[in-house]
Amino acid sequence: MQISDKLSSVNRLLAILIACSPCWAQNPLAKDPTAIEAGRGIFRIYCAPCHGLKADGGRGPDLTLGVFAAGETDQDLYRVIMNGVPGSEMPGYSENMGSDNSWRLVSYIRSLARREIVNTGNRTTGDTLFWGKGSCGGCHQVGNRGGTMGPDLTMAGRRRSAVYLRDSIVAVDKDLTPGFLTIIVETKEGRKITGVQRGFDTFSAQLVNNKGEYFSFYKEQVKSIKREARSLMPGTYSKLLTASEIDDLVAYMITLGGKQ
Amino acid sequence: MRLLLLIALTTGYLLAQPGDWTSYGQNPQGWRYSELNQINTQNVSRLAPEWIFQTGVAGRFQSVPLVFDQQMYITGPSNHAFALDALTGKQVWHYAKAVPKGVNGCCGQPNRGFAAEGDLLYKVNFEATIVAIDRRTGKTVWETVIEDYKKGYSATVAPLVANGKVIIGIAGAEFGTRGFIDAYDTKTGKRLWRFYTVPEKNEPNGDSWSGDSWQRGGGSTWITGTWDPKLNLTYWGTGNPGPDLNGDHRKGDNLYTCSMVALDLDTGKLKWHFQFTPHDLHDWDSMGDPVLLDLNVKGKPVKALVHADRNGFYYVLDRTSGQFISAKPYTKITWTDGIGPDGRPRLISGQEPSEAGNKSCPGMGGGHNWQATSYSPQTGLYYFNTTDGCHLYYKTDQDFIPGQWFQGSTIGGIPTEPLTGRLLAVDPATGNIKWQFETVSPPTAGVLATAGGLVFTGEKEGYFEAFDARTGKLLYRFQTGGVIGAPPIAYSLGGKQYIVVAAGSSVIAFSVR
Repeated sequence: MQISDKLSSVNRLLAILIACSPCWAQNPLAKDPTAIEAGRGIFRIYCAPCHGLKADGGRGPDLTLGVFAAGETDQDLYRVIMNGVPGSEMPGYSENMGSDNSWRLVSYIRSLARREIVNTGNRTTGDTLFWGKGSCGGCHQVGNRGGTMGPDLTMAGRRRSAVYLRDSIVAVDKDLTPGFLTIIVETKEGRKITGVQRGFDTFSAQLVNNKGEYFSFYKEQVKSIKREARSLMPGTYSKLLTASEIDDLVAYMITLGGKQ
Repeated sequence: MRLLLLIALTTGYLLAQPGDWTSYGQNPQGWRYSELNQINTQNVSRLAPEWIFQTGVAGRFQSVPLVFDQQMYITGPSNHAFALDALTGKQVWHYAKAVPKGVNGCCGQPNRGFAAEGDLLYKVNFEATIVAIDRRTGKTVWETVIEDYKKGYSATVAPLVANGKVIIGIAGAEFGTRGFIDAYDTKTGKRLWRFYTVPEKNEPNGDSWSGDSWQRGGGSTWITGTWDPKLNLTYWGTGNPGPDLNGDHRKGDNLYTCSMVALDLDTGKLKWHFQFTPHDLHDWDSMGDPVLLDLNVKGKPVKALVHADRNGFYYVLDRTSGQFISAKPYTKITWTDGIGPDGRPRLISGQEPSEAGNKSCPGMGGGHNWQATSYSPQTGLYYFNTTDGCHLYYKTDQDFIPGQWFQGSTIGGIPTEPLTGRLLAVDPATGNIKWQFETVSPPTAGVLATAGGLVFTGEKEGYFEAFDARTGKLLYRFQTGGVIGAPPIAYSLGGKQYIVVAAGSSVIAFSVR
């Protein structure tokens, strides 16, 4: 490559960087005094249903920790708001919100007080409990290990708050992961099949039972299809495990999928 | 011929033939009824797609296609529109205009369809403009700014053409706007009149707003109205007051939000109003279809306006005066123990949004929301869908920032009580339910009734369905593979009847094979 070509390449790169400055800059609304309040209003509408009214997490991660699964920069947060997280329950909001409102949300999330995680459990003990005494792995996958009936917990630590994970052990119906309700099918021969929903509409149902077997039926093929808004997870964990064992389990699960 | 011309000029349907579909509501009364009966209860089980047009446009289609002179005109989300050959589904032209950066909308960038007069098609663009398009070329003839989108306004409605005027409503009540209904000259795009759905302080009913809250009062008008040529009135439902879920700083009834308004077509002056939900706190817009029917109510003929409100009641009003005739619940309601003889609901406390969240039913979207309804003169039944269920309603104090979200808080779902849906057939005079069809998800599509004794609709999960209009028996279903977010229509071409619906981002024409 001749030196002139090299220079022109550098110039071209600079031109691209200048033209593309919003792509890598910090929040362009960082100095807008109204951005945080506007972001709070938007947050309560779109984000609170999963991340909690105070952004301290729920079905979605706790956003007050200052630690984010998808990256640490304003640009990372912006990208996740606009595009979502593929393969997770976090949708993209580019169409609903657009660029400026996404930056306002970033301003609001950045403004939240940061808290230390209170976590007294032992991660290693929790790991053992998960695959042993708790039998959690019978229904839940972590990586390529475990059952497929319940929600995949590979990324649970990144996607759920610690409080939410604890609730999902001791109060199994407090929240139900969308798409994981209970389906009960009775065949024309009188056989009853109970499983976790894989699909459900006005005319058909798809489910997986506790052996991991998959079923699909049209309503006219069977005697009845019922959906119940409850979890098939046993509601006995607060008896089966001690309080400190539940702390250990939470301590294990909160590490799944990366740092928290 | 002179009579035909007079009809054409009066109605604006210069080219309309019996098998055409020429407006959002199909007739001025908004019946959305097709006289076509080639597809009927006997043969609908043989319905099959004749063609599918893939628009390639992301986002859900909510548009009512128009069909006349062998072409179909359909709008899409984000300022797209198409003309298609109605025989083969081939594209004739594609209109596209970039939505400017910074337009705020509550719910995506949908568009609900064209209106037509002569060779001009009218649609709103999302950034709150109205555009007239030459139907032969897809080119813009005129475009008029309705309002400044930077103030929070946007436009999604299918316009209404009546008496040489193109009438539109506006969206933006989640952004502290002040709603209105506008009429424009069909030829020039010049604004002829504007009716604000929220009066100024010194105007009649301006005292129904505390302080200066009227300035951010909401009252969007995002679903097409209807009109009565004899009474020379146009009827529009209005949306929620702003901020939606917090009424602390907008004390009073907040007229004319969550209301029906009847306007003089020539002047836009208010003839009457009726408010369904005074001082609404649940985002129960009343913009749903105002359908005009001549009914027999308890032995007396009534020029009626019927309306299924998001607040959970089906209403019958006198459309000459706005007088309340009756209200009947069609879904679970917990916020009131009934409607008084004056049409005003008696409230039950503890149902309003709170910091900690209060449960109330129906949920935020209603009841019956915006999805198009249908009346069949053949069965005498009125068809609409409903969401059944409840939400937790939260409120919070929120500063107003011009053009930005101003909802006053949010809602939460109840995990153990999933929302469900029903298609209802009611006696329009009484609101008594004649039949119903339950669906596992809340409704997304509108309804079409035809002279073939059929009712068509669709579902979020992609099913397109046909029912016996008299009995509600399911006669046909087809999995389209896309969310059906639009109402079906019917047209006839070359002696063959088609049923058309948008599913996902495709347009599907069905016929009997």
